[in-house]
Amino acid sequence: MSILVLKRAAIAALLVIAASVLTFALVAAAPGNVAALIAERMAGPNASAELIARIAADLGLNDPLPVRYLRWLGDAVRGDFGISLRSGKPLSVEFAERVPVTALLLFGGGLIAFALSLGLGIAGAISNGGPVDNVLRTISLVGASTPNFFVAAVLVITFAVTLNWLPSFGGSGPLSWILPWATSSVLPASILSRVVRVNLQDAMSRPYATTGFAKGLTRSGVILQEALPTIAVPFLTTFGAQFALMMVASMVVETVFALRGIGAFFIEVIRFRDFISMQAILLLFVVFFVVTNLVVDIVCMLIDPRIRKAAGA
Amino acid sequence: MTELLKSLRTWPWHIVAPVLLFVAVAVLAPWLTPYDPAAQDYMSILQGPSWAHWLGTDYLGRDLLSRIIGGARVSLTAMSIVLLAALILGVVVGSLAGYIGGRFEVVMISAIDIFLALPSLVIALALIGIMGPGYWSMIVALTLAWWANYARMSRAVVVAELRQPYIEAARIMGANHLHIFSRHILPSVLALVVVYASADAGALVLAIATLSFLGLGVEPPTPEWGQMLVDGMGYLEDNPALVILPGLALTLVVVSFNLLGEAFALSKVPRPARGLTLSRRRRDRAKEEAARAQVEARP
Repeated sequence: MSILVLKRAAIAALLVIAASVLTFALVAAAPGNVAALIAERMAGPNASAELIARIAADLGLNDPLPVRYLRWLGDAVRGDFGISLRSGKPLSVEFAERVPVTALLLFGGGLIAFALSLGLGIAGAISNGGPVDNVLRTISLVGASTPNFFVAAVLVITFAVTLNWLPSFGGSGPLSWILPWATSSVLPASILSRVVRVNLQDAMSRPYATTGFAKGLTRSGVILQEALPTIAVPFLTTFGAQFALMMVASMVVETVFALRGIGAFFIEVIRFRDFISMQAILLLFVVFFVVTNLVVDIVCMLIDPRIRKAAGA
Repeated sequence: MTELLKSLRTWPWHIVAPVLLFVAVAVLAPWLTPYDPAAQDYMSILQGPSWAHWLGTDYLGRDLLSRIIGGARVSLTAMSIVLLAALILGVVVGSLAGYIGGRFEVVMISAIDIFLALPSLVIALALIGIMGPGYWSMIVALTLAWWANYARMSRAVVVAELRQPYIEAARIMGANHLHIFSRHILPSVLALVVVYASADAGALVLAIATLSFLGLGVEPPTPEWGQMLVDGMGYLEDNPALVILPGLALTLVVVSFNLLGEAFALSKVPRPARGLTLSRRRRDRAKEEAARAQVEARP
């Protein structure tokens, strides 16, 4: 088992390295010279060639690409991502301020999505074609197709502007987190509740469900006792994928609610063409996606012996 | 392709109709809009609905109805360009990889896998960051973010088709590569890839709106729903319709496309793919698709 985990971790590490090369190459191949861009920020459009050359030398931009890559990666591993052109602060400082904000957004939203999708999915399966099921199916279809910025807008209009119950901006006390959490949980909750519903339906036609009925359980009894444990793997796999996509959604959610997290920062630095920050944030994203995947894989291996066997433990 | 046309009679028209309506509005937009969507009128700023402006006006006095109709055209145009470009790129790269094989194929598969490993919107944003924001950067970035899946599918079909006896027969009869590819392989590739591409249309409309919402896509004064929404956010207390109506239009279009895509995906499930060896993979994909309701809806 531990060998299996190590193997998966090794693959994940390789993926991160491959993606870091790609990220580095992408930015290195960017049209326009980073040094010229920085000089422009410092001295306006008429920056002298001298200044550009000095910045290039300072940043080591004249070294061969592999050297620059290794230096960049080495610094990044030690927590030094360079200095943001956008804010002028070291990126490690920016990250220290912003990662907790995004983490809080993702965990709150993820928790809501987790609970909501299980509840709604089970309710739908119990209703099984009844009115509850139909209503829930429609809600999840609409929820899965509504752009998250529109969800945010509707929530703000309803709860902040009209009812005046909640603040329309984040970062001002616990109440201000409710709308961002709700916004980021709508899409994953919609998709996950469908997954719960569909897999429960499938499980109900299996022999163990029949056994449950034979033991005298009611339909809800069979769903909760016999069917629910069997959907753990597809549920967790989809949850992992959706959790990773919540990071993508955080760019929109944080921008709308003025939260100072990583997602909003990414959009800011793209607008500002701050390549140094872009590189670092992309690396952070890749690590996040790979780690999320790794955790889901390991948890699935822990709970389902068949996956362990298939993977050759 | 003919198979697709033949199934026309059995199409669920209640699912197709909303999409057709959207396309019709988009195509006919110049004749439907009562005003120029970009025309500003400082005498009628932030008005409610009236006979002159059925849905009211925005903060520059632009007619909201005209902008929503114009937005449909902008969305459809951008989406079609991206979809077509991604389709061509994916089919060309995937088919070449499958047909040529060898080291070229290995390199191409790795490239495809790397693109598929990251969420499309992250790829698109990274590329926009490098090229600088703007309409054409958005188009190029989305194309590069979307082609990989079509390339993967194309390669799988080509590899499966190459094993078919009729390819060998054609080769023995002296047909050249171009003939074999265009006559015997390309039709199968297109039949599969076009169906999946049509299912992606909703996600693409959403991606275009999201990028424009973030100020990294369609630029003002061109009317685009996502960008209209962000514009309207500043005037929520004056006229929430500026936010709600573009949002509703966008949501309805995405729902329609997703329903269409779901119908396509499901209708493809039971039909065995003319002995293609990839049918198991396709079935798995279709199952997966049904499970997540095909509404992957990339945020």
